[in-house]
Amino acid sequence: MAGKAPPTIDVVVLGVSHRTAPVALRERLSVVPDQMDATLRELKTLPGVREVALLSTCNRVEIYAVASDTDAALRALGADLARRAGMLDAEIEPHLYARTERDAVKHLFRVASSLDSLVVGEPQILGQVKTARDLAAKAETVGPVLATCFERAFRVARRVRRDTEIARNPVSVSSVAVELAHNVFGDFHGKSVLVVGAGKMSDLAARALRSRGAALTVTNRTRARAEELAAAVQADVADFADLADALGRADIVIASTGAQHPVLTRELLARVQRARRGRSLFLIDIAVPRDVEPSVTELEGVYVADIDDLQKEAAKHLAGRRSEAVQAESIVEEEVTRFLQTVGGRQLAPTVTAMRTHFIGLAHGEAEKFLAGLAHLSEKDRNAIVAFADALAKKLLHLPQLALKKDAGEAVSLVAAVRALFDLQGADPLPEGEQGEAVAETAGVEGREEPS
Amino acid sequence: MSTLTALELGAYALASLLYLGFLVGLRDKPGRLALTVAVLLHLGDIGARCVHGMNPISSTPEAMSFISFLLAAGYLLGSLRYGLASAGAFAAPAALALLLLARVVPAEAGAPAMGTLGYTHILLATVGVAVFFIAAVLAVVYLFQDRQLRRKEFARVTDRGTPLDTLDRLAARCVSLGFPIFTVAIVTGAMWIARLGVLHGAAALRPEYVLAVVTWIAFAVLLVARLGGGWRGRRAAWLTLGGFGGTVLVLVVYFLRHAA
Repeated sequence: MAGKAPPTIDVVVLGVSHRTAPVALRERLSVVPDQMDATLRELKTLPGVREVALLSTCNRVEIYAVASDTDAALRALGADLARRAGMLDAEIEPHLYARTERDAVKHLFRVASSLDSLVVGEPQILGQVKTARDLAAKAETVGPVLATCFERAFRVARRVRRDTEIARNPVSVSSVAVELAHNVFGDFHGKSVLVVGAGKMSDLAARALRSRGAALTVTNRTRARAEELAAAVQADVADFADLADALGRADIVIASTGAQHPVLTRELLARVQRARRGRSLFLIDIAVPRDVEPSVTELEGVYVADIDDLQKEAAKHLAGRRSEAVQAESIVEEEVTRFLQTVGGRQLAPTVTAMRTHFIGLAHGEAEKFLAGLAHLSEKDRNAIVAFADALAKKLLHLPQLALKKDAGEAVSLVAAVRALFDLQGADPLPEGEQGEAVAETAGVEGREEPS
Repeated sequence: MSTLTALELGAYALASLLYLGFLVGLRDKPGRLALTVAVLLHLGDIGARCVHGMNPISSTPEAMSFISFLLAAGYLLGSLRYGLASAGAFAAPAALALLLLARVVPAEAGAPAMGTLGYTHILLATVGVAVFFIAAVLAVVYLFQDRQLRRKEFARVTDRGTPLDTLDRLAARCVSLGFPIFTVAIVTGAMWIARLGVLHGAAALRPEYVLAVVTWIAFAVLLVARLGGGWRGRRAAWLTLGGFGGTVLVLVVYFLRHAA
């Protein structure tokens, strides 16, 4: 559709994210769910703002709005953010980004699809966007336009997850540890995990394994520390002196002691493994210096992943996500275009009706005015003049109407032009209800003629 | 070669390529689809041959074709439940090779009068070999993955592999299923030979008979070690391969004698 103005929508987004603002500023702007209702209602009273929703996560605070006057709305929203951050407009300005129309829709789609996330592909953001929509719906600050945008954003996000592998592989060290253990065991139900040492990382990995059905045991040189961690993750405690016994019962070992020399030596594990009769043992060594003597992999059924292995896998997965993100971006691009065509198609029928009413109304009005000074004319002549005005208006309407109806997909820019040229306000671009949705889908997506 | 045979060989070849492709990055779906087509064509082919009096146990080539079919079908069924895509890279080519062999090998002339015993023996031996074949494929995959994990090539197993425990468990199941079948096959085989009255002196020590017994012992040891001694993993995989190697040798020797 080169050479034609692209279809537009009056959506704007203004906000800060991990890309533009330090956490200190994001903290000050963040809105807790309890205050969301009041904040949204306040934002909706700002000049130029017709609909508004607010997305507040630890990585971003963004206001999505439908503007009757884009510039005024952006100015007012910016000033509001500055006030809440306790900053001057000029101070907050460099941290803010504003997107309008197509770019705003695209931004929403990218955010929902986790393409703008700190960890690309992380799954939480979609839920957070849904919460933002729900809270705004509850505050009654979203109207048909934003509601449609959000609904579509969820669909796009689902498609991105389905059609790309952007979220397939874990990128955190603890989930990678779980994934590698999966290579050996497949199913963690009935498996025993022994946590040797009590660090933060072992805590996360242990929790992840327990949530998949494994039973946990903790052991530590200082028993008190072991009991602390055990209480936190609902685990049994084993005495450090009985390490060999505990190892004999374990399927997976998470080691993170602060010891200077390997705690899990080849000699110890050889003894343990003999008693286990070849049952597999997966050792996750997240300690530095390492807790597991590297040569234990020569023992039958013993597998080791150390912190380097875990980080290497995590980095590989992250790189994989970035390459999947390229494909995801093109999906988003395609969906934005499709969405705006749908919206354009949805504007078609009311625009045609409004244009007809406008033209024919003008013709009849002018004819009446003209006839007011010609009282001597017979009824027949008066009717002929009205008919002439009517016919002229309809003749003039014929070609523009054909052009608009020719192809709903191509006509969207014309629709916008017609609405601007004749100042047509009556046609709500996004009527609510199932029927409007269905009609617009066929008109916009399939490019068929709008039934009217 | 009939059109059906050509088609099924083609489908097996395609499935083999696609499954090998899976190891280097292809999705597993195309391979599974091709193998499903191959198995269905194969089933049709076996049915057609039955109509012409060449049932699966009427001759060595037919039995080999039947083993190939059971291997591929068994693998497919297993892979529906457990993600066994990497095993397809072994199962599909093995089925293809067996079928090719079956189609180029001439049916032996003057096969001995079979009788119920003979039929039972050959049918059970055929099914037993197929089940052991599947166990062997799983053992091979186990050994490959075991090596990859010890070498810390984790991503390969994560992306393309099957959890070691799953492979081990399935292989164990195949062996405990195949063993009784194989046992009855050996017993009926011995009875059959005795009935035919060809067993005099040195003939009793024909290499394939001895080998069959040695193979049976290997599987018996494996089964006892697994069930009683809790043996598993790498050692069990090697013993499975040893036992299967014995089975193959029995068949090869048997075939060579009959061809000579």
